[in-house]
Amino acid sequence: MEALITFVLNFIYSSATLALIVLGLAMVFGLLGVMNMAHGEFVMLGAYSAYVVQSLGLNFIWAIPISILVCVVVGWLMEWTIIRHLYNRPFDTLLATWGVAILIRKGIEAIFSRDYKSVDQVMPGTIDILGITYPSYRLILIAIIIFLFVTLFAWYQKSKTGLRIRAMVQNPGLASAVGIDTSRLSTVTFIIGVSFAGLAGVLLAPLVRVEPYIGLDYLLSSFFILIVGGLGTLEGLLIGSAVIGGSDALISTIFDKTAGYLSVLLLSILFLWLRPDGIYSRR
Amino acid sequence: MMADLMLEVKNLSGGYDDLIIVKNISLNVYSGQVVSVTGRNGVGKSTLMKLISGSLKLSGGTVFVLNQDVRSIAKHKRLKMGVSYAPQESIVFDELSLEENLTLHYEGTDLASYDEVFKYFPRLKERLGQRAGTLSGGEKKLLSFSRVIAEPTKMVLLDEPTEGVQSDNIELMAEIIIKEKAKGRGFLIVDQNLTFLERFNDVIHLMDHGEAIFKMEGLMFREDIEERITI
Repeated sequence: MEALITFVLNFIYSSATLALIVLGLAMVFGLLGVMNMAHGEFVMLGAYSAYVVQSLGLNFIWAIPISILVCVVVGWLMEWTIIRHLYNRPFDTLLATWGVAILIRKGIEAIFSRDYKSVDQVMPGTIDILGITYPSYRLILIAIIIFLFVTLFAWYQKSKTGLRIRAMVQNPGLASAVGIDTSRLSTVTFIIGVSFAGLAGVLLAPLVRVEPYIGLDYLLSSFFILIVGGLGTLEGLLIGSAVIGGSDALISTIFDKTAGYLSVLLLSILFLWLRPDGIYSRR
Repeated sequence: MMADLMLEVKNLSGGYDDLIIVKNISLNVYSGQVVSVTGRNGVGKSTLMKLISGSLKLSGGTVFVLNQDVRSIAKHKRLKMGVSYAPQESIVFDELSLEENLTLHYEGTDLASYDEVFKYFPRLKERLGQRAGTLSGGEKKLLSFSRVIAEPTKMVLLDEPTEGVQSDNIELMAEIIIKEKAKGRGFLIVDQNLTFLERFNDVIHLMDHGEAIFKMEGLMFREDIEERITI
């Protein structure tokens, strides 16, 4: 029984963190049609923000505004100089954002070196829940992620900006005819997407090794989720995260980490082969 | 005294990239005037509207709105300058509700500016919560028409407003246009329904092969236009 509860909590935890990581990528791809290969690098920038904040002796909470600031500035520069000239040119965007990814990686490497940095646990300790003891930070993280998703979804459905983004995605020509500045709105959407990646980096920083190349892992797992779940919908994102997170958690518990990762790769290959649109496709 | 010049199009040419479709068109719309453009399918009427509205780049000529050169003004800024545009295709946001379609470009969700048109088209008001994609082609045209009529602009561009619309609603559209015209608004209307245009027309241009080949004034143009259109 206790093993089952631990497994369920681990499953929720890993699905939630995966969903948070992939959120920005899915948003930028689903709304703007841009496959941002530098997505993982924004997660990395977030994690480094947490590291810098801690090494300056500031409260961890400062990492959140600082990471968002960093992502807004870098994301805005990236959209303004590169992305906006390449909308509707998917292959060019892929190459260009990959180039930006390398640039950011090397930039961080030049400043902080390739060494692993560690970010201290913000909330060490455990909480007794349902008869088991579970790390408190993980529980808090699950709550924060659920809150972020609900807030973002409500904002997208209810706010004027969310409404205008939906209008722009459906019919960009008409959107500009009714006076909506679609190029500014695209910039805003891109910046929100990469800021969520940065936020994911901050929240995960205490749990992972922080080094310049972590972005690659996150980009990869994001791809696996989008392959399994399907592109362009929130439902697909959540289902994909649950399937990938679930199989990883399950196989890792039964065998070991390597077997868990292997199962994720196997699932992705099977999906690409047999169901390339994913479980929840909008087509 | 001459009425104010709302729209001045001079020697306009353009199309898609290297393909020039509209050639050397000039027309003026004065305050309180309806200028119509008609012609067979595929002669460049919609391309003309796209060029004037800023949806396509001009390859030659000029467009002035209220005496201001709009060639370098982005499309989304033109509504604020005083030009409304109802395109021919993809005219509503299908996934959004009627209410969202009518209010997304304003602050707030006040529908007061639509009171007037809702009197003519009460069905729209009844269905505000419905997705616009569930409307028929003609009803979408009414929604798009209502949006531009309610916008506080001096110049209105309508591209095939009556396509697919029921005849009694076409008559209501004509009534609204006559009323708005009396308030001093200028209209440029592309349509193939001559009966509709004869209700309010001031100047009509007949287009063929991207050029304006014939021009007439007044309400009684049907015979002259039909004679030249049937080939």
